[in-house]
Amino acid sequence: MKPRVAFFDFAGCEGCQLQIANMEDEILKLIEIVDIVSFREISDVHSGDYDIAFVEGSISRPMDEERLKDIREHADILVALGSCACLGGINKMRNRFDENELIESVYGDKKLVSNPFFNVHKAKSVDEVVKVDYYIPGCPIDRNEFKRFVISISSGKKPELPNYPVCVECKKKENPCLFDEGRLCLGPITLAGCNAICPSRGSPCIGCRGILEKPATECIEEIFQRYNIDYDDLKDKWNMFNFGDKIWRKE
Amino acid sequence: MNGEIYRLEKDDFLAFVNNLINSFETIGVKEKKGRFVFSHLESAAELRLDHDVTILPPKKFFLPPYEKMIKFNVGEQKGELLGDNAKRVIIGVHPYDIVALKQMDMVYMEGRPDELYKQRRENTIIIGSDILRVNDFSFASSLGTHVVKDGFDLMLTDLGKKVIIEIGSERGRKILMDYARNIKEASDQDIKDVENHRKALPDRYKVKLDIEKDQIPFLLMDVFEHPLWEEESKKCLQCGSCTLVCPTCYCYDIRDEISLTLEDGERIRTWDSCLLPDFTKIASGEIFRKDKSERYRHRFYRKGLYIPMRYNFIACVGCGRCITACIPKIADPANVFNTLSRRKHESKGKLVYRMIEGVEAESHILPEPAVIRRIEPLTENEKLFEIELLSRDSFHFEPGQFVEVSVFGVGEAPISISSPPSGDNRFELVIRKVGNLTNRMHSMKEGEKLGIRGPLGKGFRVEDLEGKDLLFVAGGIGIVPLRSLIKYVLSKDNRPRFGKIYILYGARTPKDMLFMDEMEKWKEVDDVEIRLSVDTCPEGMKWNHSVGVVTTLFNEIEIQNPKETVSLVVGPPVMYKFVIKCLEDAGIKDTNILVSLERRMKCGLGRCGHCQINGIYVCKEGPVFRYSDIRNLPEVFQ
Repeated sequence: MKPRVAFFDFAGCEGCQLQIANMEDEILKLIEIVDIVSFREISDVHSGDYDIAFVEGSISRPMDEERLKDIREHADILVALGSCACLGGINKMRNRFDENELIESVYGDKKLVSNPFFNVHKAKSVDEVVKVDYYIPGCPIDRNEFKRFVISISSGKKPELPNYPVCVECKKKENPCLFDEGRLCLGPITLAGCNAICPSRGSPCIGCRGILEKPATECIEEIFQRYNIDYDDLKDKWNMFNFGDKIWRKE
Repeated sequence: MNGEIYRLEKDDFLAFVNNLINSFETIGVKEKKGRFVFSHLESAAELRLDHDVTILPPKKFFLPPYEKMIKFNVGEQKGELLGDNAKRVIIGVHPYDIVALKQMDMVYMEGRPDELYKQRRENTIIIGSDILRVNDFSFASSLGTHVVKDGFDLMLTDLGKKVIIEIGSERGRKILMDYARNIKEASDQDIKDVENHRKALPDRYKVKLDIEKDQIPFLLMDVFEHPLWEEESKKCLQCGSCTLVCPTCYCYDIRDEISLTLEDGERIRTWDSCLLPDFTKIASGEIFRKDKSERYRHRFYRKGLYIPMRYNFIACVGCGRCITACIPKIADPANVFNTLSRRKHESKGKLVYRMIEGVEAESHILPEPAVIRRIEPLTENEKLFEIELLSRDSFHFEPGQFVEVSVFGVGEAPISISSPPSGDNRFELVIRKVGNLTNRMHSMKEGEKLGIRGPLGKGFRVEDLEGKDLLFVAGGIGIVPLRSLIKYVLSKDNRPRFGKIYILYGARTPKDMLFMDEMEKWKEVDDVEIRLSVDTCPEGMKWNHSVGVVTTLFNEIEIQNPKETVSLVVGPPVMYKFVIKCLEDAGIKDTNILVSLERRMKCGLGRCGHCQINGIYVCKEGPVFRYSDIRNLPEVFQ
């Protein structure tokens, strides 16, 4: 029987689901191997009966946590889809600020205290709330990686993510190294799988797939000096996908 | 210069290149954002012969970074080798890259050639170019690779208004004659100009090796335990860039990719890097070169010792690509070798080993079709499969050899043969459910098709065991390859050729013990002693034998004639040290201890690099080794 899959979104831009919706003609092949029972970007049907749940977005409110736990209970396999779900994503940037101040700065003096929709806590990744079986990182996700994931699951193979930095893919594509242009690229410490899409188009890696498990720390200062790179630039970049959680330079 | 040498005026040379572009897939050096790459030429005007070095070497046209090797159908398990018939011309290859290609040829075309590499190599014309601009990090002149005498079809020296062309092969000569006009024989002055240019090159290199290149292997033998490995590798980002841009690195990974229909797909070969943490990882999750400093060191040892011992060349051509690509600038072979030579006295340990005779694999890239004839569940996690090769009537192998089992759509895995040589085309495999392929095997049924490559590697040489007492020591699934030899030795015809037989076998719990019924039969054979143990016996399980690790069984036997006893040991990596100590205590010589080692044998052909232990390949020189041959290899029993 074809696995039944459902998509769910939490705090995020829904851009990862859009990547899948944009698969267009391949969607037709996709539904030959999986039953999409819930995916509001492409269909208005919804069923609570599913095997695989793709969860997009970070978790921001108590009501989200309840909903997520309910999804977990129904799903055999739960997949975190995209950086918000996998890592907390850019939503986590707000965790450095006080929640009340944030609400005030966004919504002004509107009386929202008793409104559960605005009852937010610090942004969390999905695995801070429930067990996650697989991760498909990226901001947004890479369609091919999503495809490979579905193929793996459908053919009984364990989906695997590369455990090496973006540089590996970047070198194979023969891109001139952005460090040589004096630009800070997070490629050397970011998990690969995107086929170095940003550096291949001349933009430094911003680390959307998350930091390596054991990034090298000893050489950072030396590298920055050699390539004349600004520390503040680094700080901004690593905060974007919360690399700061893993300290790789002594402050 | 003493070959056939011609001269073209610049305009005629450009016309020659344009003619090539019109007739062949023509690749040349082009500029890319201030750096250089080998890429398809649209017109001769794009060609740059003043490049210092390209980001990637021309290797990418022979061993592409992403290569579709086999096209397959999942349902029928049918595969077809994908060729590449394109006739290519590559223009602007520097001498060091030509040397590197010659090295690649030895790796990929020696012995049983790699069909895909060979086809590309034979279909490609190499037009070299003398170095006009020296790369800041290159030290080619120290290795003598700044000039080259052969390995090209044509060699260009761009002297501004004129281009001097040396003929390197008959097909090079033909292409020049057919596609160039106004060809003139080079004058004495032309030749002198080229010679002067080449003579002046060495002085233009900023980086130099302080030692003779022939001394590099000897230096490395002395500095295996040098503090430099730790010092430098601390800074290593483990990005693999140094190996990925290297013209002499040739390790690769293989994986299957299938289409969304799940019906067809391709077996892919991609560049891999020994610097990456998962390079040696096997299905059970074990990693063999765990420490970053070990991986960092391994690369230099491959360049300067392991490959020189195997192929007799230094596997570095001094192009400077690795150091250009390395962000923390720790990948520089010249700097590392120079530093080591200066600080040699700081080393705390040497690495001395001898090459071991290997076996030329009886295998190509494409697996042979086979079918599962019989499946027998053995334990919760192990099943026995009887396989029949459909492509031949007989399958000759020696006990201890392995095959690569292939299921198109899933991949390949190395599996030891578990049955004795039979002469026909059937053999048995015992498969533990541990990774993607073995999981798939467990869900397969009798009559289903798969692929086999092999037999691979070196097994137990039965001739060497004749007349000896044999002491088998098996830990866990280690009984599987040993069973092949045990059954061979215990067969009626062969039994008289061997002395007393001891079999010591330990597993985790009674339900993990394999072939208990067969053990009963083996016991009945003359002069066979069998001792069994389990690590633990959970309550409620029946067990009439010993409890404890396999080494406790040594107390239960008396080895009557240790000098004439050969021990055959197979088990999990952790077991060897302890068992070998017991054997040596019992007086068995290290030349009489044979072990079979587990590593990530991916290609089985001594090329992909994953199963390497220091300088030896487990898939080629093993998996069965004489302990005396490997005991000094630090990476053997980590």
